[in-house]
Amino acid sequence: MQDVFVVGTGIIPFGKYPDKTLADLGWPAVKQAMKECGVNSTQIGAVYCGTALGGMLAGQRVMKMVGPTGMPIINIENACSSSSSALSQGWMAIASGVHDLVVVIGVEKLTKFGGGTLPLEREDWEVNQGMVMPALYAMRAQRYMHDYGLTIEQLADVAVKAHDHGASNVNAQVRKRVTRDEVMKSRMVAEPFTLWHCCPTGDGAAAVVLASPRLARQLGAAAIKVAASEVTSGKFTDGFRDMTWAELTHRGAQHAYEMAGLGAEDIDVAEIHDAFTIAELMYYEAFSFCERGRGHELLASGRTSLGGDIVVNPSGGLLSRGHPVGATGIAQAVEIVRQLRGDVGAHQVEGAKAGLSHATGGGVAGYDHGACSIHIFTR
Amino acid sequence: MPEVKSQQGDVGLLEPRIIDPSLMRINADDHAVLMGGRCGDCGAISFPRTPVCASCLSEGVEACDMPQTGTLYAFSVVHQARKNWVTPYAIGYVDLPNGKRVFAHLKAPHDTLAPGMTVGLTHGVVGHDDEGRPLMTYLFTPAHHEA
Repeated sequence: MQDVFVVGTGIIPFGKYPDKTLADLGWPAVKQAMKECGVNSTQIGAVYCGTALGGMLAGQRVMKMVGPTGMPIINIENACSSSSSALSQGWMAIASGVHDLVVVIGVEKLTKFGGGTLPLEREDWEVNQGMVMPALYAMRAQRYMHDYGLTIEQLADVAVKAHDHGASNVNAQVRKRVTRDEVMKSRMVAEPFTLWHCCPTGDGAAAVVLASPRLARQLGAAAIKVAASEVTSGKFTDGFRDMTWAELTHRGAQHAYEMAGLGAEDIDVAEIHDAFTIAELMYYEAFSFCERGRGHELLASGRTSLGGDIVVNPSGGLLSRGHPVGATGIAQAVEIVRQLRGDVGAHQVEGAKAGLSHATGGGVAGYDHGACSIHIFTR
Repeated sequence: MPEVKSQQGDVGLLEPRIIDPSLMRINADDHAVLMGGRCGDCGAISFPRTPVCASCLSEGVEACDMPQTGTLYAFSVVHQARKNWVTPYAIGYVDLPNGKRVFAHLKAPHDTLAPGMTVGLTHGVVGHDDEGRPLMTYLFTPAHHEA
């Protein structure tokens, strides 16, 4: 196995682009990533493209815009973990020595569905009976509040922090700060969640260029090491499950820490899957940033806010940057790589040396989540 | 449920349709029964009934009736959903004494629901399909609401 480096990053501002095609969302991110490290498309050994709902051959549709094609292009669907799973495939292609340079894309256009909650698979028996994604997280929130005494006001603080961060990120979809009171008084979606507890739907694209040590040196571009890359699936059960504990994420985190030779205390910055407010607190616990049931204490301490020692979702996370599902994993990777290079902009975490990204999701009956992919990056 | 009621004069379209007849039946006495699966080889219970036993890979999984009461694990009242559903509607996970967790609509004044409460099986209309036909399914209701 050889080391793998991120040598180029690209992202478009997330938002609503109903008049653009999926390819038109994707190519500017790929061009940006290629320009950053000075590669041309003839040097690309393979392309991995993650999209959950983008349709067939998304990667081919994007790559035809930016130069000669003909390399292997693999399209990957893994719900909210689509492009983070693609990243893991790209990492594997270089780590194993099969390729020296690959491009990984995350691209999604949700505005084509006309708004509302994410369209889920109607063959799923729970979806067929009326399950919607916000309700699944809402039940986690309710049970967590029941078991640990978390209040809805405290939970609203997650949204306040996310939008504080996102307000200074030029690529965030929602760049408005909110107060606890505004969160509490917004429109009800699925109790106890009002609108501000939920990530927006929208469109987005991001891309990274991965390189072997040899090619990273040759390109001379700023290189950030991929210290861990892993993908895990949920454990199916039709029996009881503790919905206050993110078992899948915890399992993946343990594996990723081991692979990187790092622990939770070594992480300076993290982009985690805060699709709904409760998720952020549960993932603090799953990543061992704090003990079980104490997520809100960690949030209230300010340690996970900009200026803290374990800054979570400096980009604004899914709640503020947005969550075009298949694009999220690479958007997180771009964020962490730029944080570690020190060139992310106004929401810079000063002196960050190690960061992680985490995309998990998929509403399928009997799974905590369908998929989870975690990456750790170091400089 | 004004939308559902307005269509009830339309004979032919009006007979409620059970959302998923593989999960339930309604007995002659109008009581709902929830149906799962029991593996004929190893005895493992599944809900919904699976075509193949995940424990021993036997394809001899037979229908079996599920318990009629359970404990509400968590719930939510959904205000935003596809137009097929009558919003707001309450849904939750009900833990049955045989170790299975069932996703279900809940029938009760929403402010009376609480995690940990005992709930019993009934049935009712929860929405309508794209053609306007009422959609019926199993429901759980707080035990003291049962007749």
